[in-house]
Amino acid sequence: MHELSICQSMLDIVERTMNQHPGAKLKTIRLDIGKGSTIEPILLTDAFAIITEGGPFAGVELEINSIPIGGSCRACGKSFTYQELALGCPECGSTDIVIESGMELDIRELEIDEPEGDTEKGREEE
Amino acid sequence: MTKINVEKKIQSDNETIAEKNRRVFTDGDVFVLNIISSPGSGKTTLLEATLDRLASEFNILVIEGDVTTERDMDRVRAHGAGGIQINTGGGCHLSANMVSEVLPDLDLESADLVFIENVGNLICPATYDLGEDVRMVLLSTTEGDDKPMKYPAIFHESQMAVVNKIDLLPYLPYDIERAEKEVRVLNPQCEIMRVSALKGDGMDEWCDWLRGKLAAKRAG
Ligand SMILES: Nc1nc2c(ncn2[C@@H]2O[C@H](COP(=O)(O)OP(=O)(O)OP(=O)(O)O)[C@@H](O)[C@H]2O)c(=O)[nH]1
Ligand SMILES: [Mg+2]
Ligand SMILES: [Zn+2]
Repeated sequence: MHELSICQSMLDIVERTMNQHPGAKLKTIRLDIGKGSTIEPILLTDAFAIITEGGPFAGVELEINSIPIGGSCRACGKSFTYQELALGCPECGSTDIVIESGMELDIRELEIDEPEGDTEKGREEE
Repeated sequence: MTKINVEKKIQSDNETIAEKNRRVFTDGDVFVLNIISSPGSGKTTLLEATLDRLASEFNILVIEGDVTTERDMDRVRAHGAGGIQINTGGGCHLSANMVSEVLPDLDLESADLVFIENVGNLICPATYDLGEDVRMVLLSTTEGDDKPMKYPAIFHESQMAVVNKIDLLPYLPYDIERAEKEVRVLNPQCEIMRVSALKGDGMDEWCDWLRGKLAAKRAG
């Protein structure tokens, strides 16, 4: 439901980052989105298309890396990821577990084309 | 093709403003609770019942978040609260920015407790820190005992979970132990309490918890 505002916040960060690379063309945005984060990748992709339409980021590719809910068990010591969230450790069934991933809402990286002859400068800034 | 490493939380702008709010609240020496639940779980009823018990002891402010109407604000005012209504106009959650905009209108200096009633929704408010001291999720027996696992983020992000409407337990197939177990699996540190805001069960314990939180914050 809040994919539009999450998308807008994401684009604010992208815009600020791109301002540090004048003349560069944005190609791809890579996100890490946890499966428990309440953000639905399809809706986020839709929101992205709607917000960027007709603007400088129209047609930019949005790559969403979907991160499963995972954690570790304090009873058997194993780490695990869930296909589907369940009440306890998939190995031993203990409910003494710690959820460690799956809530991410992160921008990981951008892929850009530097303006002609400016490639070296861009690499240094990296 | 050049790669730029960003490695940033999408919510980092909201978090920056939330930290500012937190400093304002701390300067005002108030304890702030952000209450999140699905529509109709009893957030406003819990606030009314809390006001009836604590309004003579503490100065209480409420920030009401609703899509539209002042109805909830009118209800808590009638029970002795000050505060302000935020209408999100379609927005499904409060953001740190919306809260920061109303802070100048609140008399935090003379307040003790600040309750933020978020928009009724278990999904979107989970990812918006408002600058509160404690994020609390309110469950109720009428909505089914399977909600924590269905909405994991809010339970993972909350420090307190309260199960409301326990007066209805005899009439509902609600397994309260199961609901609480699901909360613990998602968040072993989360405190859990049971109340009936309407009938008063558990309300003494609830009020003591609030007193304890305020005292702990003021003790630094
Ligand atoms: N039986 C029973 N009913 C309750 C209890 N608490 C609230 N209710 C009822 O639940 C309904 C919804 O309560 P509200 O307090 O308006 O719920 P809310 O969470 O503030 O709702 P929104 O602000 O619209 O999201 C009302 O009819 C209340 O009387 C309770 O402890 N027991
Ligand atoms: Mg309400
Ligand atoms: Zn195990």
